[in-house]
Amino acid sequence: MTAHSQARLLIIDDEVQILRLLRHSLEAEGYEVHEARDGLAGLGKMTSLQPDAIILDLSLPDLDGLQVLGRLREWSKVPVLVLSVRDEENDITSALDAGADDYLTKPFREREMLSRVRAILRRGQGAREPAVVRFGDIEVNPAARRVRRAGVEVHLSTKEYAMLLLLVQHRGRVVTHRYIFRALWGPDAKEDTGYLRAYIIRLRQKLEANPSVPQYIRTETGIGYRLVED
Amino acid sequence: MSAPIPPTKASPSPAWPAAATAPAPGSALAEAARQPRFDPATPNHKLEFLLVFAVIAVLTAIGLFLPKSYYIQIGLVYLLAINVLSLRVGRWPIFTAGILVALAWDYFFVYPYFDIRVSVGKDYVLILIYFLVALIVGQSTARIRAQAATERLLKQQATALFQFIRLLTEARGLAEVAAVATRQIDELLGAKSTLSFAFEGRHPFELNFLEPSLVEQKELPAATWAFHHREPAGRFTDRFSNCTGHYVPLVREAQAFGVLAVKLPPGKTLSPGQSDLLEAFARQLALIVEREHLRAASEREKILAESEKLHRALLESVSHELRTPLAVIMATCDKFSRYDASAYPDFAAEINTAGQRLTRLVGNLLDQTRLDSGALKPHLDWCDPNDLINAAVKGIANALEDHPLEVIVAADMPLVRADFALVEHILVNLLLNAALHTPPGTPVSITAGLDLPGQRVFFAVADRGPGFPPQAQEQLFRKFVRGQGAPAGGLGLGLSIVRGFSAALGGGVALGENPGGGARITLYLPHKVANNSPPE
Repeated sequence: MTAHSQARLLIIDDEVQILRLLRHSLEAEGYEVHEARDGLAGLGKMTSLQPDAIILDLSLPDLDGLQVLGRLREWSKVPVLVLSVRDEENDITSALDAGADDYLTKPFREREMLSRVRAILRRGQGAREPAVVRFGDIEVNPAARRVRRAGVEVHLSTKEYAMLLLLVQHRGRVVTHRYIFRALWGPDAKEDTGYLRAYIIRLRQKLEANPSVPQYIRTETGIGYRLVED
Repeated sequence: MSAPIPPTKASPSPAWPAAATAPAPGSALAEAARQPRFDPATPNHKLEFLLVFAVIAVLTAIGLFLPKSYYIQIGLVYLLAINVLSLRVGRWPIFTAGILVALAWDYFFVYPYFDIRVSVGKDYVLILIYFLVALIVGQSTARIRAQAATERLLKQQATALFQFIRLLTEARGLAEVAAVATRQIDELLGAKSTLSFAFEGRHPFELNFLEPSLVEQKELPAATWAFHHREPAGRFTDRFSNCTGHYVPLVREAQAFGVLAVKLPPGKTLSPGQSDLLEAFARQLALIVEREHLRAASEREKILAESEKLHRALLESVSHELRTPLAVIMATCDKFSRYDASAYPDFAAEINTAGQRLTRLVGNLLDQTRLDSGALKPHLDWCDPNDLINAAVKGIANALEDHPLEVIVAADMPLVRADFALVEHILVNLLLNAALHTPPGTPVSITAGLDLPGQRVFFAVADRGPGFPPQAQEQLFRKFVRGQGAPAGGLGLGLSIVRGFSAALGGGVALGENPGGGARITLYLPHKVANNSPPE
């Protein structure tokens, strides 16, 4: 998709080596990369640059990454990818619930980073949703409410379908447990991840080649789920 | 212990608070409650003089009815009376008795009668010698008695002190020491006492008596003075003598460790014997407090030494293990500038492997630190066992590349209620263990299942390696201990972390044999049933 190649990105991180690494990889993909070394500078550049997406590190020298995100979301819907250290699940979930679109833990693989950047840009650009979404041998047709696997129709219960649709709409990006609960059972539902696990197991059994080692419906431990396309 | 001298006069006792509650189960405390009273009475002189007068008067009266020729016998009876009286009365009364007897004999029974003057010369000598004998008899008996009394007192004191020390050494901890000590003092003196341990140089200086109700607020200055000046104060002393309590500091080698407060019933006084005993007790208490402090200091030293040892082991381990992959990374990077691009993928792979190893090591260190600091709070969630195994396997894909991996998840394996990250770490450590300790090419298997009768789920990692040496199994769980012949690649923390984490999850880990050869480690976690049918 050529639209991505001119996308303007803003990286807010104070670690020089990470900045260099990201800049190198992203520029090689054709992105226009800008930097900010702390939260306030980042917020300032937001207005002047109007980037298409932001990569925000959660541990910044001045403001907390969450605070930056909070301020940002007060007036902008720009896609945000947060960077965090491994094992900081609480921070990541808080960031996602506060409006971040996806996350990446350090140390990260370049391929994953690029894939997630692509995914959040896609959402940001409000590209038209295709009529049929395909991954592997699965075909999802939201308008017709139909799911096919290798051409054969797969029967899903109402909730199973709703969950799959959610993952498909956010494909490539993570969907938090809380988001799924809100979407499927409303804001007042009691959040019991046991339910989610049960549904996901059923979806995997119906759609994955090897349900025990899923290829597409991936678990993001402690955070949520992600539909991986590539 | 000989019976104490009973008081010669019954003191009118005003209302005195009833005895404290029954002694605590501790044997030292119970024994302390069985002390006989140490209450050497002060002799009552007035009564003794009265007795002396009475006896002499009676004998004189009797003698007056006898014929005058019996004057020798009467004289001897008087001497006998002096002897007997000296067994009962003190020095001054007996001295007075001696004079009285000589005068009475002279006056009533030696010619001329009813006249002190003596007619015959030899009778002067008689009277004089008589007088001397009366005095000497009285005094020597009195002295012997006094000595015996002193010895008895000393013996009682020594026994009381010995008991005190014996019971205190059996007490454990300062709280029990205080309880036993005050109980003994209370029983021995018929008093109520309490202790305050204190330290100089502590700001603000405070005396906190264990039984604060016994010490009135306004008397605290007296107690504080006693502490700072290392001398008793309060009632029965020269300082603050209008207090109701008697305060004795616990002193050892010019250092004060606290204050002992003793309250006697209003009518009673503190005899010198009792006062000496209290000071001896106070010295003993000071000794014991000093001993407790030294013991606590020695404990801290020991703990410090242990932690130093662990620290050193950690530093050595880390320093060695981290430097190896770092060295690989640095060296390989150097190669990029020297060799041509065709070798780059190999170099990259090396750096990658080293990086993964470093990531794992750091993870292990962090895990162990969390365990040690007690800050581990598992975040329980429903986990899909397949997710767990996949995450673990993905985490160490590199290390497992020489070992074909077999995954078997039982059909009835339920969701597991656990902390995903912790279980993942455990499985990673177990798989790594299997990979590192077995020859390349040998298979590794991970099995997951439900043990319904045991109310638990299990994950078992098995290999076809040398297995565990039977004796050293417990050793393997210790930190920084690596199995014999273990290749480099771990800090030796793996099994220690596995055990710590599994315990935190309410489960456990077991080492065993893989039937057919090899080792098998099983992780057990409690089985909880999930409510799997949510509302549609």
